[in-house]
Amino acid sequence: MKLSVFGYELVIPTDIIAAWVSVILIGIVAGYIIIKKRKLGVVWDYMKTTNHRKIGILYLLFGIIYFFRAGVDALLIRTQLAVPNNDFWVFQGEKYNELFTTHGTLMIFFVAMPLLLGLMNIAVPLQIGAKDLAFPFLNSLGFWLFFAGSLFFNIAFFLNLTPEVGWTGYAPLSRAEFTPGAGTEFYVFGLQISGLGTIFTALNLIVTIIRHRAPGMSYTRMPLFAWASLITSFLILIAFTVLAIALYLLMFDRLFGTGFFSGDEGDPVFWQHLFWIFGHPEVYILALPAFGIFSDIISTFSKKRIFGYGTMVASIVLIGFLGFMVWVHHMFTVGLGPVVNTFFAITTMAIAIPTGIKVFNWLFTMRGGVIHFTTPMLFALGFIPSFVIGGVTGVMLSLSAADFQFHDTHFVVAHFHYVIIASTILGVFAGLYYWYPKITGYMLDEKLGKWHFWTFLIGYHITFFPMHITGLEGMPRRVYTYSEADGIFILNAISTVGAFLMGISMLFVIWNVYKTHKKKKKVSGDPWDGRTLEWTVSSPAPEHTFEPMPVIHSMDAYWYAKVKNKPLPATTNVRVKPLERDSIQPFCIAMSLFIVSTGLTFRWYWLAILGGVMLFALLILRSITDEREDFYGKSDDHA
Amino acid sequence: MKKVFLLSLVLLLTGCNITVLDPKSETASEQAFLITFSFWIMMIVVVTVFILFARFVWKYRYTNSRKHILPKDVKGNIKLEITWIIIPVLLLIILAVPTLAITYDQSPEWTKESEDAGIEIDVTGKQFNWLFRHRNGKEEMDKLVIPEGESIILNLRSEDVIHSFWVPELGGKVDVMPGKELTYEIKHPQRGTYQGKCAEYCGLGHTDMTFQVEVVSTQAYAQYLHQ
Repeated sequence: MKLSVFGYELVIPTDIIAAWVSVILIGIVAGYIIIKKRKLGVVWDYMKTTNHRKIGILYLLFGIIYFFRAGVDALLIRTQLAVPNNDFWVFQGEKYNELFTTHGTLMIFFVAMPLLLGLMNIAVPLQIGAKDLAFPFLNSLGFWLFFAGSLFFNIAFFLNLTPEVGWTGYAPLSRAEFTPGAGTEFYVFGLQISGLGTIFTALNLIVTIIRHRAPGMSYTRMPLFAWASLITSFLILIAFTVLAIALYLLMFDRLFGTGFFSGDEGDPVFWQHLFWIFGHPEVYILALPAFGIFSDIISTFSKKRIFGYGTMVASIVLIGFLGFMVWVHHMFTVGLGPVVNTFFAITTMAIAIPTGIKVFNWLFTMRGGVIHFTTPMLFALGFIPSFVIGGVTGVMLSLSAADFQFHDTHFVVAHFHYVIIASTILGVFAGLYYWYPKITGYMLDEKLGKWHFWTFLIGYHITFFPMHITGLEGMPRRVYTYSEADGIFILNAISTVGAFLMGISMLFVIWNVYKTHKKKKKVSGDPWDGRTLEWTVSSPAPEHTFEPMPVIHSMDAYWYAKVKNKPLPATTNVRVKPLERDSIQPFCIAMSLFIVSTGLTFRWYWLAILGGVMLFALLILRSITDEREDFYGKSDDHA
Repeated sequence: MKKVFLLSLVLLLTGCNITVLDPKSETASEQAFLITFSFWIMMIVVVTVFILFARFVWKYRYTNSRKHILPKDVKGNIKLEITWIIIPVLLLIILAVPTLAITYDQSPEWTKESEDAGIEIDVTGKQFNWLFRHRNGKEEMDKLVIPEGESIILNLRSEDVIHSFWVPELGGKVDVMPGKELTYEIKHPQRGTYQGKCAEYCGLGHTDMTFQVEVVSTQAYAQYLHQ
């Protein structure tokens, strides 16, 4: 669309206009509701909060918002691919490339990550008997850094500067000579800032799980979700650091003309190594917490303890370890040679073994139990066969010579959607339905939940199953069209129908949340007849939990206490709880990094310096104020 | 879900008209073999899990008569757990043997002098075209003509970003990198006309970066070179 503003001719694509209009409308409605219901105080409260449950809610809220945005991207992609030689709206060439870049980046970094971190934030402290995360201030900072990064990335679209380098950002395409626009900077800085937040949260979770478990809660009695969160946090710590380095080098290549990823000294393959040393563990960062959620849910709703707890923990650890040894299977066609290709084919196959152990242990947990088909359990049950399909195609992909054919086709698209949706997305849905009472005090409607489950699961298989075949028919990834002669029209049309079915299923979620909060029916602390400690505190989880602190003598201690009809033993002699002090500083620190990034992106170096000064001022302010003073009194002896 | 799976299984059984599984060269045949072989091995796993899953979910579901049952605690079963470690290991070893053999033979490499005799062709990828240069200096854009039954040795190089050379009927992908040359061999292509494409996202015109491959008789190839 052409506009003339102050005599300038402006060409604004219609999709950008549509985005502005819809965001402004949503903003007006949301603002109106907040002001009318006098909830501005609540917004302010959440901006300052350092409480783990509230920060968890923020993570979940933004994860879901971005899920809808990235989901719309997916629907646009599928609409463009529905028929051969399609000419849908603006989504050919450049705009299509932007679509799949945003869809991938958002889904991985700004949907899956915050949803999982949100659930960990809420559930892990409650499961292990910690009163909060070890460093509440750092927790808040972690969230706001994620928020600043995601905001920065999302703004690009409204300025018509969306990155178009794919979520993998392969060099040299991502270097300034091939993508000179500011788009790629939004990718680099958006991921850099939010990644920093993720690292902080991972550190926080590690310390919390190691230091703040309830008395008697040894590592052999810890719920599997807590175990998975611990291992995941270690993976984050290593993998996201590598990503940060890769992005940092790319930033230098783009802004200051260094040659890390091209030229005589540099090499584009360096980027691929760095990216996949991050990227492959990332897959397990997404999958392991979901495995943990499913383990807890399957055990709870089969009314049986988990089968083979020891091997379950061992396989989590093993998957995490092997996850760092397989990255080259994304690079079989790069030409690293036969020895490298076979080595990484073998390590990749090896991952199937611990994963297989988990699948069979889940199956045998159900054996002999009494299986209650609640919504969270349905999601867990939907996960098992779906994940196995994704898992076996993973083994097929690991055969490096076969991968020469599979690589970068829709077969791969089918594979990774199968595994990530089955584990992460179904896992997050299961976790949300399961812990919703603990988060809000209300129980989501079971009937609508089941509608959501069935439409989503069926839509998901209809969408992605045909892609195995289109891939083998020769359809590469990241192409915006195909011809009739390719013979893949029907299969693509089926995929598109499935995608819209998944889209429709999400409407049930909106309706469900609306209905649940309209009804306002409070539930007890233990609505599912749970096994672990989070069900001993009231719903929603209060700010001060575990007073007095339970003492743990076995795994699933709460369950066995209920079976024996005796209360959990308790003590008041516990470690001091992490000190919570509301503070707006984390928000300001994150925003100053946002300003630095804006300055660097547009080469407004004065703005970058201003942001940098702000950041250092805030850090100095933080290090000279002692928030513990008004709690412990002014003294030097606790320093 | 299971219906979809069975349906596509049938498709796969009858579906030898799926491009990759209907190979037109020795290289692609080896890859197709590996794909179908691993598919059937993996079906053992899928079927086992699906049967156990269906049986357990049905048999142990909550019913009114089982309302008050308190399931017996089972901590684990070391024999069972060892079973589902050993069997997958065996299946993977079976898979690994042909994989290693074929991968060793086929993996593209940074240029070394090829021991095999064959028809050498230089392939240059650039946004968004392919240039094919034959031994006698003949060049053609976006059209590759090769003789049937020979070994075709491709020396690939990019002028800008990374591309990937792919003709599904004739063989797997090989990346086309800037700054270094990769060698990939297609063994014994069969006569026909195929479509090749760029498989690594390379920017604006990625979708349209296609080319035509004509596999012709040796005489026709000799003629083509001197046209």
